[in-house]
Formats: sequence, C-alpha cells, structure tokens
Amino acid sequence: MGKISLRKAGKQYGTVEIIRDLDLEIADGEFVVIVGPSGCGKSTLLRMIAGLEATTAGQIVIDGRDVTEALPVERKLAMVFQSYALYPHMTVRQNMGFGLKLAKLSSGAIKTKVDAAADTLKLTPLLDRYPKELSGGQRQRVAIGRAIVREPVGFLFDEPLSNLDAALRVDMRLEIAKLHRTLGTTMIYVTHDQVEAMTLADRIVVLKDGRVMQQGTPYELYEKPANLFVAQFIGSPKMNILACKRNGDGQLDLSGQGFLEMPLRSDAVPVQLGARPEHLSLVAPENGHCRGTVEAREYLGGTTSVFVRNPELGLINVSAPAETGFGIGETVGIHIDNVRLSLFDAAGAAVISSR
Amino acid sequence: MINALRWLVFAIAAFAMNFPILVTLVTSFKSTRELSTNPGLWVQAPTLDNYLAVFQVSDRLNIFLYLFNSITVAFIGTTLAVVLALPAAYAIARGRLGERTLLPFIVNLRAVPLIIFAIPLYMMFQWLALLDTRLGLGLILSIVNLPLALVILVNAIRDLPGELDEAALMDGASRTQILLRVIAPVCRPAIVTSLIFGFITAWNEFLFGLMLTTSKAVPITVGASFFFAASGGGVQWGVASAVMVVGALPPVLLGLIMYRQISGSMTAGAVKG
Ligand SMILES: Nc1ncnc2c1ncn2[C@@H]1O[C@H](COP(=O)(O)OP(=O)(O)OP(=O)(O)O)[C@@H](O)[C@H]1O
Ligand SMILES: [Mg+2]
Repeated sequence: MGKISLRKAGKQYGTVEIIRDLDLEIADGEFVVIVGPSGCGKSTLLRMIAGLEATTAGQIVIDGRDVTEALPVERKLAMVFQSYALYPHMTVRQNMGFGLKLAKLSSGAIKTKVDAAADTLKLTPLLDRYPKELSGGQRQRVAIGRAIVREPVGFLFDEPLSNLDAALRVDMRLEIAKLHRTLGTTMIYVTHDQVEAMTLADRIVVLKDGRVMQQGTPYELYEKPANLFVAQFIGSPKMNILACKRNGDGQLDLSGQGFLEMPLRSDAVPVQLGARPEHLSLVAPENGHCRGTVEAREYLGGTTSVFVRNPELGLINVSAPAETGFGIGETVGIHIDNVRLSLFDAAGAAVISSR
Repeated sequence: MINALRWLVFAIAAFAMNFPILVTLVTSFKSTRELSTNPGLWVQAPTLDNYLAVFQVSDRLNIFLYLFNSITVAFIGTTLAVVLALPAAYAIARGRLGERTLLPFIVNLRAVPLIIFAIPLYMMFQWLALLDTRLGLGLILSIVNLPLALVILVNAIRDLPGELDEAALMDGASRTQILLRVIAPVCRPAIVTSLIFGFITAWNEFLFGLMLTTSKAVPITVGASFFFAASGGGVQWGVASAVMVVGALPPVLLGLIMYRQISGSMTAGAVKG
C-alpha cells in the first residue's frame, strides 16, 4: 500500500503562491523523481506530502484516506533529509529505533527490526556508534535505516545524496535503486542530479514555479519533451535550440542558413527546433544542413563537444567522436538527424511532426 | 625565553586578580593577636581558631543553617529558572513566539537595578506569607536567573537545525517529546551553562536575602555578615575571612566539577559530513 494522490494541491506563504493547482497520482510501489530549477517548490511539495508543511488548498490522499490535515506520523511516510538530521545524542541503534520506541513497541521487537534494517544496509558493525563517529556516507545510510525500520507506506527523499562525493553518490544511488527493488515501496525523490533522475525514476515530474511542466518516463521526457522548458532542462549537455520557420514547400527554413526536410501537420507552426548534441554530426561544409566555424572543443574522453558558431543560429554544441579531426577555426557542416529532433511553437509547446 | 616571559606575565596577572582572595585566605589563618602585628601576606603561626569559631553553633549564629539555606534557595532559583526557560526558549526559537517584543522585554528586566523590585516584593511576600522562607527566596532568585537562562537557551536552540525537529515529527514525536527527548539532551551544554551561572548568581545574591529573610531562611551571604561583629567590639577580621572562605567554596567547587560538561559540542555529527 502506498498510493499517493495530490488533488489541486496548493501552498501559499502569505500572498506568494509556491505550489498551485497541482495534480499528481503516484501508484503503489512507483519511484517518482521530482526535478526542477532551484526555488521551484520541490522541497515544499515533498514537505506538504510529509505533513511538515501545511497544505493551503486542495487535498492530499494516501491510500484513499484524506490526510490533508493529518499529522506527519499518521501518514505513515518516512523522510530522508538532505542534512540527514540524525539525533546526535543517540547511537545508531537508538537513532533507528526512536520512532518504534515512540510507537511503544517492545524492546525485543525494536531490536529485531533494527537488526534486520542494519543488516540490509550493512550497518551492523556501526550500531553502537554515535553519528559524529560516522562518515558522511555512513550517516546517510543510518538516515535511510531510520526510515525503513518504520515500514512506511512511502519514502520521501529530499536531495539525499547531494552532500556526498561523486564516487559515493554512485554507490548510494545503486543502493537506493536496490532498496526500491527489494522493498517495492513507493518512493518520491527530489534531486538536482540528472543522472539520478534518469536512472532511478519510473516517472519523472518536472516542476517549474510550482507547476508540473511534464511528467513521464525518463525516455518520454528525453525523447518527446512537451515543451521548450523540459527540453532544455532534461539532458546534459543541454539541447541546442535553433530558430526556424516553415516555408511553402513544407520544409523547415533554418533562419536562411539551410533547409531541413520535415513532414509536418498542416496546422503546425514551429518557430524553434531542438536538437540534442548527440543527434547532430559534423560533416564536410557542403554536405550539412547548415554550416559554421568551430569555435571551441572540449575533450570529454568518450566524446568531444565541438562548439560551432553560425552567424544566425548562434553557438551549436555537437557531440563528435573523441578523435574528431575538425579543428578550431575550421568551417564545418552540421548534419541534423531529423527523426530525433523536437519542434516548438511560439508559446514553447511541442509541435507534433506527422511521423 | 618568550615562553618564560609569558608565564611571568600570566603569574603576575593571576596574582593581581586573585589578590583579594589570597588576602582573605591568609587572613583566615591568622590569630587575632597576629592580625594586629602582621599585616603581611604570610602567616607566622597558622591557626584554625577562626574556622572553629565559624563552625560554632550558637542561638545567634548557625553557619550550617545558612549554608543549607543557600544551597536550597540556589537549587530552587536555578532549576526552576531553567525548567521555565527551556519550554519558553523552544517556543521562542522555533515558534518565533514573542521573539520581537517579549524576549527583549524580559532580557531588559535584567538591566534594571534589582532594588526597584524589592519594595513591592516585600509587600507581596508579606501577604503570601513567603517572608523569611527558603521557598520565597528561591522563587525570587529564579526570576533573577530567568532572563540569562532564556537567552542562553534560545540561542542554543536556534543553532540546532530545524530538520532535527522535523525528523522527530516524522518519527511520531509530540512537541513535548521533541523538547524533552531531542532538544533538551542535545542542548545539555547550554543547560549546564545556565545552571552554573544561575547557581553562582543565586549563591552570591545579597540584596533579597537581606530584605526578605530575618532568621529561618538567612542565606550564607547575609549570614556571613553576622560574623563580622559577632562578639561585640570591632570587626573580627580573622573570623570574617574564615566565614567568607567557607561561603565561597561551594560555587568554586561546583564550577570546577561542572565545567567539563560545558565544553565539547553536542551537535557534532547531527548534520552533513
Ligand atoms: N517559509 C517560507 N516563507 C516564504 N517563502 C518560502 C518559505 N519557504 C520557502 N519559500 C519559497 O518557496 C519557494 C520554493 O522553495 P523550495 O525550498 O520548495 O524550493 P526547491 O525547489 O526545493 O529549491 P532547491 O532546489 O534550491 O532546494 C522558494 O521561492 C522559496 O523562496
Ligand atoms: Mg529544496
């Protein structure tokens, strides 16, 4: 059990609306990742679901029960904080057992549950230590352990890995994914990290100014962004956005710099074209859909990012093979893969091509 | 060389600052006869006569009662202040309750000369039959101690990350449980600090002791003054010094014992890495 629904949920601080009219249905066992720019209300949304922040409009329903006014503990959710928020005066064992103790479980039952959770998270040798005697990664594990012993219907994570170094973050990411597989519990996860979002999520929710811009599987968001915002937010390096116009022959006119064959619905009026760096390739100047001068190269090991300057279209990032021969100052052609590009109208909404 | 100089300066400073204490200590071991001939910082014929005189119980003088009174009123005045200040500080620090007016107002009370409260308090205590009682004096001392305890605890709680409270909320703790089982233990150094400062203030308090007690509840500060002219005639400096040494010992010992509790951060490891 762990079906969480937000119905027209809203949050206002005084007169400032942080979250508005937000509808979200999270299925039992689903892993939902919430992303969005800083200040868009991700933490606020998570804290509203947790019950740490009052919901000022709409409803929050968990497993069919309206919990909009319920205390955090009544929602049977567990939260893992970015700062871990371990109790400094308690040992790892006491930290993990605190919630159970408050729930008046017998000390035998608490021990069994804590030992089991510690075993899952490889915390057994650390049970008698205090938080100050643990490394950052171990503290994070304890925070997760504290969440799982209570057997919640859902987990809430607010950027849980952002204080860890890169290598540890990868380990913990895999561990959280494994935890989700073994427990099968609903998880809602806020992050800034593209890779975390893409790899962990069953579904990604992109938030901007307290509104859902798009939700879908990582594949859907990456391949079929619903709007310009999502197109640019998802994916690293960012998608190239090129100004374009539809001409009479049903072709796309790239600001007079070139043409692209593109079967379009008759009513579609795209004004911008989005193409990810890996969907562009460098060719001889006379062969590309448009051309430009190589301005910079960034060798990334697996690939090289080549930045090509076009007087009308601006700087275009092309992901080229690592050993690419095109040097700075050279004139190159750019080939655009017209199957995997996205088109947007004047309002920034995606235009559906006819294929 | 530099090091030796440092120690020299340190020794001179320590000597200068503690000079009154040294004089009192030395004087307390001199006989009445030696006092009139030897004003120096050394004792020719050390004697315990002054201390024996101090511990002599008579109908007029009872050092044991004074010490007991002081311990009792300081205990009431300190613990009550902290017990009242802790939930108040939590409400101020977390609920931002009364932060803008009430807190500055209470803290400013400490700046007002205490004598201003003495007369209304005397009349109030008469009416409540609290004059010359340990409870009465203890209550007053807790009010004297409250502002400082409040400031220390508000600052300590403000320094704790709010996520600590929220983690406890998620774990199902009530506000009271959060205060008693998370905030209070984590704030232990601040609580101990308030207790020590409160105890020292309460122990050394003289004015209210003088005004509000007469015999049964006389604290050591007031009681000590009784010894100055105990046997008529002039001031007995030796006995007076001895009683002051006895009266000063408890807070000094307490400070030494409790100091270890203050140092060392309790929040280490609560957040981040
Ligand atoms: N107590 C508050 N009073 C008024 N405004 C607030 C309060 N708390 C948060 N906000 C505002 O709400 C907005 C959303 O904050 P929130 O913390 O949810 O952002 P976020 O998406 O988690 O950002 P980040 O990625 O930086 O963590 C911000 O603009 C913030 O200024
Ligand atoms: Mg946040």
